[in-house]
Amino acid sequence: MTAPGPFSTAARYARLTWHLSAVSVHRLTEYRMDFLLGAGGLVLRVVCQVAVVGMVFRQTPRIAGWDYHEVLFLLGFSLLPRGLDRMFTDQLWVMARKLVQNGDFFRYLIRPVHPLFSLLSERFLYPDGFGELLTGAALTWYAADRLDLRLSAAQWLLLPLLVLCGTLVLASIKTLFASLAFWTTNSFPALYAANQLGDFSGYPLDLYHPSLRWLLTWLLPYAFTAYVPATYLLFGRTGTLPWLFVVTAGAVTLALVVWHRGVDRYEMTGS
Amino acid sequence: MNAAALRRYTPFAASSLQSLLQYRSTFLINALTATTAVGVQVFLWRAVYGGRPGGLPGGYDLPRLTTYVLLAQVLGLMQASRVDEEVSGEVQRGDIAVSLLRPVSYPLSRFATGLPVSLTNATLVAVPVVALYALLLPLTTPTWGGILLFAFSAALSLVIGFGVNLLVGLAGFVTTNIWGVRVVKDSVVAFFAGQVVPLALMPGPLAAVARVLPFQGMVDGPLRLLLGRYDGAAGAAGILAVQLGWALALCALAALAWRGAVRRVEVLGG
Amino acid sequence: MIVAENLVKEFKVAERGPGLMGSLSTLFSREHRLVRAVAGVSFEIPAGTKAAYIGANGAGKSTTVKMLTGIMTPTSGRALVAGLEPYRERRRNAANIGVVFGQRSQLWWDLPVPDSFRILRRIHEIPDAVYRRNMALFQELLDLDALGNTPVRQLSLGQRMRAEVAASLVHDPKVVFLDEPTVGLDLVLKEAVRRLVNHVNAELGTTVLLTSHDMGDITAICDRVLVVNHGEVVHRGTMHELLRTADTRAVVFEHLGAADEAIGLIEKGLDGASATLTEDGRVKVEYPVARWTARQVMGFLLDHFDVTDCVAPEPDVEMVLRRIYAGRAAA
Repeated sequence: MTAPGPFSTAARYARLTWHLSAVSVHRLTEYRMDFLLGAGGLVLRVVCQVAVVGMVFRQTPRIAGWDYHEVLFLLGFSLLPRGLDRMFTDQLWVMARKLVQNGDFFRYLIRPVHPLFSLLSERFLYPDGFGELLTGAALTWYAADRLDLRLSAAQWLLLPLLVLCGTLVLASIKTLFASLAFWTTNSFPALYAANQLGDFSGYPLDLYHPSLRWLLTWLLPYAFTAYVPATYLLFGRTGTLPWLFVVTAGAVTLALVVWHRGVDRYEMTGS
Repeated sequence: MNAAALRRYTPFAASSLQSLLQYRSTFLINALTATTAVGVQVFLWRAVYGGRPGGLPGGYDLPRLTTYVLLAQVLGLMQASRVDEEVSGEVQRGDIAVSLLRPVSYPLSRFATGLPVSLTNATLVAVPVVALYALLLPLTTPTWGGILLFAFSAALSLVIGFGVNLLVGLAGFVTTNIWGVRVVKDSVVAFFAGQVVPLALMPGPLAAVARVLPFQGMVDGPLRLLLGRYDGAAGAAGILAVQLGWALALCALAALAWRGAVRRVEVLGG
Repeated sequence: MIVAENLVKEFKVAERGPGLMGSLSTLFSREHRLVRAVAGVSFEIPAGTKAAYIGANGAGKSTTVKMLTGIMTPTSGRALVAGLEPYRERRRNAANIGVVFGQRSQLWWDLPVPDSFRILRRIHEIPDAVYRRNMALFQELLDLDALGNTPVRQLSLGQRMRAEVAASLVHDPKVVFLDEPTVGLDLVLKEAVRRLVNHVNAELGTTVLLTSHDMGDITAICDRVLVVNHGEVVHRGTMHELLRTADTRAVVFEHLGAADEAIGLIEKGLDGASATLTEDGRVKVEYPVARWTARQVMGFLLDHFDVTDCVAPEPDVEMVLRRIYAGRAAA
């Protein structure tokens, strides 16, 4: 058996993703109530966040140099990678919480596809993410319209790439912290905490103490999922933009290395 | 209920505490979560005050608002006793049928399980987090009277929070996506409880809605008592009375929901 | 087909004192203990064999199977399955093997069984003809259609096990690892699973490694036996050879005459043998193999009694195993 080339491998995974997504969509129609609850819950969460921003701006026209609609744009943009990430990688939460602990993780190791793919495939197109993605898009659109934002051709071209990189950064952080379960059996608290810090990224980083800003840029690079792309689109700031691609590549690599190390030391407990 | 009957619930409390202590990282994580949530709010409001020389409506100056935001998280932490998670888990696994066999009231045993979680969170998590922010930022020092009223009110808020959590957990009978229900709860309840922004800073109509919901008794009520944001003794008594009313109403509602659940288990076997 | 060379697996186990104080102390420190679950196991299972892997609880058999399936990496030693080191080349190995862990599910938890099979077909890239042939076979023996469109998480253990066994065989694996494959099944379905496994072994030459607490599974399926105890292989050979290690054999007979008199006569005449009355009134003679041959025992019985019926049952597998475990523990 010869190893297949990278293109045929990629094509194979793309076909599988398509197929598994189709299965998920089919399931979605069967559990409509669950879908509405999950997606609706996330929409409500965004509504509450917007309400807080609204209340803040009732008191003052600008904070840290940002006006109301600029903050809304940032908030909306931050939801795009978040929603996409949630649609494809939410099984990592289940893994962190129990799959390693109760031994069920074994099933990803006995299928002839990459274990990470196999794991994620169980919740492809997880419908809850639609809520975030759609409100994010609507909010971004609304804010851009109010700001009369005109994107240049380069910005339009880069836009999908910015969202994609943001998604990859989020997925990498999630994979990294979920993988800690291979050492601690339950990494839910760690994953939760890391995810929690991501809440900072929906607001302008200029608000924060420089040390926190540094942490969110270089240690847990949430800045690259919203602040860096949004300041580029809003104000044309390109200072840290090139780093986006370096950080994305670095985060993905680190996450995969930790994942593989973890899988190699996996101990199937129970029975 | 007499003391002997109450003693039946101590094993629930003890075993809950025991399993809680096994996951020591939980405390660290809770602390980090609370610190983060306070951090976002504090930074946001500091920026607001930076652009505004005077105080905010409702008499909140920066130290008072910081204190509010900080203690709002502490209250939220105490009310997050995992009751919703555990009840819905039991419902979905069908274990709830087993609990009918025990000679104790299920809601009460759940309360006994949740209480140590709340209290441990309050001591092991809240104390360091409050100490940390007290070191970093100027806070308002409450009066002794405020503290006393707050203690009463916080106890009532625990009951209200428990009722809400139990109802959310029992929603497991209606939907399999308990996670979705909890996201709704976590955002909507927290918002209307005043955990993010004091009711006094909400625009008129929103504040009016918040005031008629039970959730304001979870955070806004206790903190108004602590920070002295009420009109005289009658005002304070009013806050406590409303809280008490909601606590009783939610307990009744939870009991009703539980009775419905039991009937369902008896018919369908969980 | 399956080779194990000095396989060793050690675990670190956290220790915790009892009670509330024990939990409290773990807040500050945790002590670890090294446990050797598999202590240098070596064996070889040729292609096409149906082997049973037997051992008491905690003998390390599950751990060994987990290393052979690539789920866990050995602490030292080496395993080869169809020429691959499973834990090094998981994906290629996964294409060669099928696995059932009776207590765990490999199916898509939230999906109905037919969807799981559609996905398995895609990820294993099973040719249409093979897929159709296998699904027809599973339908015939296990009646998978009866599981309907219920998500796997809502199936009973027995229902799920039918789907698990089928899922392990759907891609025509070279080797299939079955860990408690009939748990939760009724007698008819147990029989169906055994027939299915024997069928694929006969038709495709599939190598089978079975671990089970159900001796019925082992005798109905396996032609070879490996007995492990304390992480070491203590017996290997055919089922027949295993039974021949029994140190006592038995003869059960019926005769014209009083049964209780016979008992006294036998115990006097055959030194070291014991005679008991069975529930249905026959006499059971158990004799040490070291002292008497079957011929001597039969000769004695025919000389002294008017024997009307006589059987020599196979030794009880569990008894043989108990003796093996006990012997090792004493050694």
